[in-house]
Formats: sequence, C-alpha cells, structure tokens
Amino acid sequence: MPRPEIHMITFTVDGREVRAPENAMLVDAAKLGDVEIPVFCYEPKLGQPVGACRMCLVEIEGIPKLQTGCSTPVKDGMVVITQSERVKEAQEAIVEFLLVNHPLDCPVCDKGGECPLQDISFGWGGGRSRFIEPKRHFEKPLALSPLIAIDRERCILCYRCVRFSQEISEDYQLILAERSADTYVSTFDGHPYVAPFSGNIIELCPVGALTSQPYRFRARPWDIEGAGSVCTLCPAQCNVELTVRDERVLRVLARQHPGVDDGWLCDKGRFAYQSVHVDERITRPMVREGGELRPVSWERALDEAAGALGRAGAQSAVLAGGGATNEEGYLLQRLAREAVGTPHVDSRAGGGPGRELAAALGAPALQATVPDLEHAHAVLVLETEPVDDMPIVDLRIRKGVRRNRVRLAVATPRPSSLDRNADVSVRYAPGCGEAFVAALSAMLGGEGKNVDELASSAGTTVEALRGVTGVLRGVEVGEGATGSDEAGPRDIVILWGERLTQGRRGAAAARGLLNVAARLRLGGREGAGLLEVPVAANGRGLREAGVLHDAGPGLSEPPHGEMAAIDGLELPDGLARGDLTTLLLWDAEVDAATLAAAGTVIAHAAFLTDALRAHATVVLPAESYAEKEGTVTHPDGRVQRLRPAIGRQGGVRPGWQVLADLMARVGATQDPADPGAGDPRVLTGPMASRQLFEAVPVYAGLTLEELGGRGVRWPAREQAAAWPRADAGPFGLEVPPGPVKANGDLRLGTFRSIWAGPEVGHSPALRFLVPKPRVEMAPADAQRRNVTQGDHVTVGHNGAALHATVVLRDAVPRGTVFVETDALRAGPVDVRKAPPRAGPPAPDPAEAPS
Amino acid sequence: MAWPPTPQELITVSAPSPGGAGGAYRAFGETLRGLKTTMARVFEGIHTIQYPEEKVPVYPRFRGRHRLHRFEDTGLEKCVGCSLCAAACPADCIRVVAAENTPEHRISAGERYAAVYEINLSRCIFCGYCEVACPFDAITMGQDYEMSDYSRSDLIFTKEMLLAEPLDRTPLRAEGE
Repeated sequence: MPRPEIHMITFTVDGREVRAPENAMLVDAAKLGDVEIPVFCYEPKLGQPVGACRMCLVEIEGIPKLQTGCSTPVKDGMVVITQSERVKEAQEAIVEFLLVNHPLDCPVCDKGGECPLQDISFGWGGGRSRFIEPKRHFEKPLALSPLIAIDRERCILCYRCVRFSQEISEDYQLILAERSADTYVSTFDGHPYVAPFSGNIIELCPVGALTSQPYRFRARPWDIEGAGSVCTLCPAQCNVELTVRDERVLRVLARQHPGVDDGWLCDKGRFAYQSVHVDERITRPMVREGGELRPVSWERALDEAAGALGRAGAQSAVLAGGGATNEEGYLLQRLAREAVGTPHVDSRAGGGPGRELAAALGAPALQATVPDLEHAHAVLVLETEPVDDMPIVDLRIRKGVRRNRVRLAVATPRPSSLDRNADVSVRYAPGCGEAFVAALSAMLGGEGKNVDELASSAGTTVEALRGVTGVLRGVEVGEGATGSDEAGPRDIVILWGERLTQGRRGAAAARGLLNVAARLRLGGREGAGLLEVPVAANGRGLREAGVLHDAGPGLSEPPHGEMAAIDGLELPDGLARGDLTTLLLWDAEVDAATLAAAGTVIAHAAFLTDALRAHATVVLPAESYAEKEGTVTHPDGRVQRLRPAIGRQGGVRPGWQVLADLMARVGATQDPADPGAGDPRVLTGPMASRQLFEAVPVYAGLTLEELGGRGVRWPAREQAAAWPRADAGPFGLEVPPGPVKANGDLRLGTFRSIWAGPEVGHSPALRFLVPKPRVEMAPADAQRRNVTQGDHVTVGHNGAALHATVVLRDAVPRGTVFVETDALRAGPVDVRKAPPRAGPPAPDPAEAPS
Repeated sequence: MAWPPTPQELITVSAPSPGGAGGAYRAFGETLRGLKTTMARVFEGIHTIQYPEEKVPVYPRFRGRHRLHRFEDTGLEKCVGCSLCAAACPADCIRVVAAENTPEHRISAGERYAAVYEINLSRCIFCGYCEVACPFDAITMGQDYEMSDYSRSDLIFTKEMLLAEPLDRTPLRAEGE
C-alpha cells in the first residue's frame, strides 16, 4: 500500500508545546520535545507495541489512570505529564518490580555498561528494594544456540525476542514457555534457535539475558571503539558498526538505515567477521615455486603478476567479483584496457545481457528502492530466494506483507521461504526463467493464445500465471485477471535475481523482463520498478565502474570499440581454445577446471580454495571488508562508503594500491620510451574514489563527504540523466526454448544458500551452519529411485557427478532436484544411491561447498 | 648620550666597605647564631632515618602498590574481570581481558575471570579509584611504595605479580600510632 500521509498535530508534554505526527506513539512523540519516557519492551522496529513492561507509564489529562506511553497514540491537544509524583512513584515501583528476580550480576554480565536496565534503574529507579525473598533461579549459562547464550534469571520478559521471532523473521521458534511467575523464553521444542536472523535478538534484548557467544566476555563498552562501515558479504550491503578492540573486530552491530537494512542483520553479516582474524587467511603474497605456493615479497609477486599480464597482453582476461569495491573495479578495467591492452574484462562469471539491455534494466526511471518493497501494492519475487541471495530484503518483504498488506507473488523454480506469505507462488522449471517472463509478458499483454504454449515451455500452468497477474493487477485471487489494467498503474516492485539474465539466453530473458515492466507501466513511477538481486555483492557497482566486456565506466561505449571481447560466460571456452592464456581473478571464484586450462592464474583472494592451491601462479592477499576503503553500490543505486575499521592484517595491501602498482609495472614494461604512460597516479584511496566519480557520468560530482555514513542514491540525483539511453521495449520476443527434456531423469536446479562462501566456512562460530552437500527432491521422485531421507547419493550426468545427502521436501515440484553447487550446470541429472564407502564422508566443513 | 660616557655621567654603586667590628660581626656573627641552633639539637639525638635500611611505617590508608586478592577458603580469585577498575581509572593504566570459567578450569567464583590483568605502574597516579570501583573488593591499594626499576616494561605488573604476596618491606603503622 502506498505510504500513508502524515498529519502533524500539536500536543503538550510537561508543559511544552510539541508538533508531532498524528498517531505516533507517545514515547516517540515526546522525544520530539526532548522528553524521554523510559521503555523496555517498546521497539518501533518490531511493529505494534505490546505494553508488556509498564515502564512507560505517564499521566494524560482527562484519563484517570496512568497510561502506557508506548501504546498510546498521540492526538491533537493531548496534555501529557511525565514528571508528576504519581508517575515517579509508578516508575520507581516498576523498576523495583523488574528487579525482583533480576540477579544484578552486572560485573559478570556482558551487557554491563550498555544495558538499558542499568541506565533506567539509575535514571528512574528508587534505588532500593524491599524484596528479601529468594529470587527465581535457572540453570545458567545456557546456550540458546551455538551463537546465542541465554540467562533466564536476567530476563525481564519484555517479549522483544519472541516478537522478533514471531513477527519479524517469522521463524516462529521462540516462545514464552509456562505462565505468570514461571514464564521463561525458550524455543518451542527446546531445540537450539537456529535461524538466518537469530542474532538480532542479541541486539534487541534490553537486559543481558541474550548475549552473543562469540562476543562473550570479550570486551566492555569502555574498552572498545565503534567503526561504521558497510558489510559486503552479500548484495544487501547492510550498514554495520564494527566493534573494535586492540585492532581486532570483535562484534558487528546494525547501524540502522531505513533505506537499506531497516536495522536488522543476518547471522552471516553478524558473525562472519571472525574470518578476518583466522590463520587460514592469506596475509602475504605468494608465488608458485617448484609446484608449490610460497610466500614472497610484494615486489616479487607484483613483478611476476605484471610480467605475466604484460607478456600475455590481449591474451589475458580479467574477472572481478565478490565484494570488490567500485574503485577496485574501475582501476581493474583501467589496468586491463589501458596497461595490459586486453578487452576481456568482466564481472559476471555467468554472463548477462549486453550493454544496451543492461542500461535499460538499470535505467534510473525503472529502479525501485528497498523501502518501496514495503509500501508497494504488489511485489513479485522472480528467480531469487531473498533469504539466500540478499537476506535482509526477506525481512522487508515480510514486513510489507504483514504490516502494509502488500500483495506478494513468488515465481521461482525452487520452493521459497516466502511461499507462506505469498498470495500466489508459482513454480517453473529450473532454467526456464526466460519462458516464464515471456509467458507473463504475453499474459499481461492479453496475448491469450500464446500464453498456453509459453506457460508449458516454462514448466508451469496458465492458472498459475493468472494468479500472478491477478496479484499484480490487484484482482482477488481466483477471480482471474484479464490482460488490461482497468485499475490504472499500480505500485509494483519486481525483485528479480540476476540469475534470470545469466547464460546464453540472458538477453532474451532481459527483454522479457523489460516487456513485463513496460506492460505494468513501472517506468518513471515513484514507488514502483525493478530491483535486481545481483550475484556478486557489489555486482551493480562493478558494472557501473565499467567491469563489463562490452562497456566502460557508466556503461559507456567500451574504449576498445568493435574488438570482440570474451565475457565471463565464455571464459572457460576461451581458455580451453587457447585464445586466453592468463587469468587475473579479483575476488572472483572460478572452478578448478577453468583454472587448470589457464597457463597463468593471478588471484587476488582472501582464502586459498583447493582450486587456487592447485592452479594459482601468483596469489595476492585481499583485504577483508573491515579493512577496506572505497565505495560500493547497493542494488537500488545507493553508493555507500566503506571505511577501514582496523589496520590491515599481516602484509595485506589496499586493493587500489595493488592495482596502481600493477598498472605502473605493466605500463612500464609495455612502453619503455614513455614510462609515464601507465602512470595511474593513484596514491591514496580517496584519489581512486575521485577518479571513479570523474569517470562514471552518473557518479559525477559525488564526494566521499557527501556519501558520509548513509550513502547517496544516484538514480535520485540530477546526474542520473547521464545514464545511457536504451530501448526499453516492448520487444518482440523470440520463442524461448522449452524445459530440458528429462527423459526419465530429473531436472537439476542449483542454488546458493546464505551459508555459502568462504567467510562462513572460515568463521569458527558459523562453521556449524555450513551445509553438507545435499540434494532436495520430492518424496515421490525419491521413492521411484528407491532412496530416502539421509541417503548418500550421487547426482550427475555424463561423468560429472557429485556426492550429496538426500533431503526430502514436499514443496519441491516432481521431476526436479535442487543441489547447492556451482559445479553442475542446469540439465538432466540422474540420482543414484552412492555405493557404500569405507568410512562416513567427512568433508572438512570449511571446504565443503564453495 | 655620547659614547663612551664621561665619568661624570656614570653612577657608581658599591658595597659598604668591610672593616672594624662591623666587618667582624658580619663575617662571624650570623654564622654563630645559626650554629647555636645546630648545637642545641646535637643533644636531642639522631633524627635521620637510614633509608633503605630503615623505613618509616605507613598509615593504614596509605595508597601504595595495588594488590589482587583471593578468597581465603577456596583459593579462587576474587576478580571476575568486570573491567570496572579500568573504567574508573583516570590514568587509563589498567587493562583487563576477561575469559570464561569452565568447570575444569575454574579461576574465579563467577562466570568470568580476568585472563589478563595488567597495571602499568609508570602511569598509575595512585588515586585509589580502582579500589573504590571494584564490586568484589578484589583489588586494594597495598602499602608498598618501592617500585623503582630499571626498565619501563618491568613496571607493567601482571596478574600474577599483583596476586603474589608482596615482600614484607613496608612496615605498617600500628593502630593509634
């Protein structure tokens, strides 16, 4: 639903006239008049107040009894008193009451020093207790999960954690067990509370009842410094505050930004900081000598890398990925194009639509923002699983559906965790996203006769499609929707995964998506549009910085003109053919076979994978996001600034410096007559940022000061007019290829869970979450193949196979299996029972899936 | 004024000329008066304290080098590593790193203990705020004031040094003395 209008009213608090939005809760409204009302249970992020703790009692003229300030909406002319004797007496009584069972073990409690209960007892409490009876006792300390410690004696039963679990993350695990004086927080069945967002309850808890296990007893608030930055472990780019003590990151807290994360963090973002300080991290450059990688000096490693790149020239390829910053991306493409002289630069290992279509999809008029998700009329989740690909957006969608009654349609091959919240959820065959958008476009365009055929080639049904269009058009489910939009354009946000436009037919899928957007008239509409979920954490920023095979900075014409460039998708073929000999990987992951085909592999990475250990020639240590300086671009166009929180570990050097050094060296070897030719003149991080802002037209005029801690959405700036114009359709669509004929085999769909990635595997606290290789399949399929839950099977076809454990899921459509892997391409696969092995498969959890 | 000035322009200032009885008094009189005081004290006996062989007892509230304490019955450390002393310290000379007790490895009575407890005595101003802040009376100011050393790093006292019984070097003044 569109954002509600805000009426301002005037009310009086403690004799002050205060202007506040009508129906804001008194606690918030009073703050506008600099009056603080103490609260424990109230937290605006959690939605409707519950009034559980009674700490916020205030006197309101005309109401005989004291009222809870957290659940009383403010009205015009209200007169509120927070300083009277009655209120003071009530507050002191409540504090005394809350402390009846509180153990007051502040010296050993991790919350001590940053504890609202301490602060409020000090500020509003009476200072003495009349209670001499024994307090209630629980076993402590207890692990609520491997990440969270629970101390039930300290709990004041404010309901915050339970409300989070029930109403925000909707995992429904935490409850208050027992009643009245025996109440305690627990999971329903006593199992550990393991969920993608569980760590948020640590930050929510107003006392020390829920504390972080990895942070347990590590530091006190006066020992630490907070360093604001941005988490670059996934495209959500949540704003975080890193807690630093003695040059070590000890904790990650949310830095509330309504435009990005809404104040929540996923457990990956909250706990994967541990991978910054592990021994496995590469902190020195390495060069292969005698078949083994050996630590060498930076000079040696840079010379080797520059030499290899210079010799290979146009036979070298550059692939960027992961959390590489915009600056690194910009310098990387300069290194490739200006110094090395190769056009083979890309940041999309899976390929993607060409420059024109990328420009059309990224057009400022067509971009939705993250907050639009919660205020739209309808949201379509397309070919992405938000909780895996961009976790924090999952919470935003749930919030919209729960609080603003956003209509939600989910269209994915794999069963989604949002299915339960969706008005309609549609499954289509894996890899048939193109056919699905084509069918959807035909449906919206009223091309009735095409729809049948397209729906079946997408592996879905016309009824399902009608459901989706119904949600998008705002018609009741089941009524069926016609192609036209009688109700006029609506605020619709399409959250689509970049995987939709990957692969060889990516361009066709992109055209289909643009058609859908055009038919829904999303262009230029405030609060509506497309929101992409890129595969790489800074996918959008790297593209805008010019790390594309067919586009320069700002998606401009590539400087090498017509020279045919090999993109990320063709890279393995290019290496196999011998067109390419040298590969520079910048935070990008490539499978071992591709690396084996390259003569020289220069990898800039934080961790050694098996593939790198076997095939890398030069390894340059990469910074962690806690050490990085630069900017990244959020999928909705918000340019955000990374600030270093700690010194670089070991011999790690900043990415911009490494690239500038490489550029200088390669340039020098290329043209000895003009040593200044390759001079990149990047001496500091901000210089790299300035070069980037000058080179990318839509970033023109940005400064690091302007970005500050909140970032700037470039599509909302004037300079967005410089975005290249591109034909946004509607296009005539080719007939998409149908689903893979399985011929008795199963169709393979792949995914990447939130716990994938080296940062999780290398964080001691998160290691238990790294999933074992598993294959999700429908029970009926499993029965036919005579396998069952927990069996070890091989999944594969034509030689390529991997071992996995069967997980039965009713929601998986028949005929399809899902495996978390990048190793197998979509296609028919066979699932066979694995021959019994001598020992149980014991993959190193750190290495298991990558 | 012309330079050099003529003798008429110069003013000469000189001390009174010594000589006669006045001169003799000036030479010896004041000295003898001082010696009178000295001679008068000779019979009172020796006041000099032969430090370091002899030491002045300190008062009970004297704030000397810190001490950490153990429970006498269990032998566990009283300190739980809460860092309140570090928070109270105006000279920022205390560093505490806490860790968790386990049943097999129990150091203190509570859940946490101080894995590292260091006081940089070259920075300490002996204000005693740490003692006031401590909720468990785990740290107190002792009587020891002899802390000079040959290197600064030796003045960083670790937990073991602070827990150890100090050499009995500083006599304590008895009650009412």
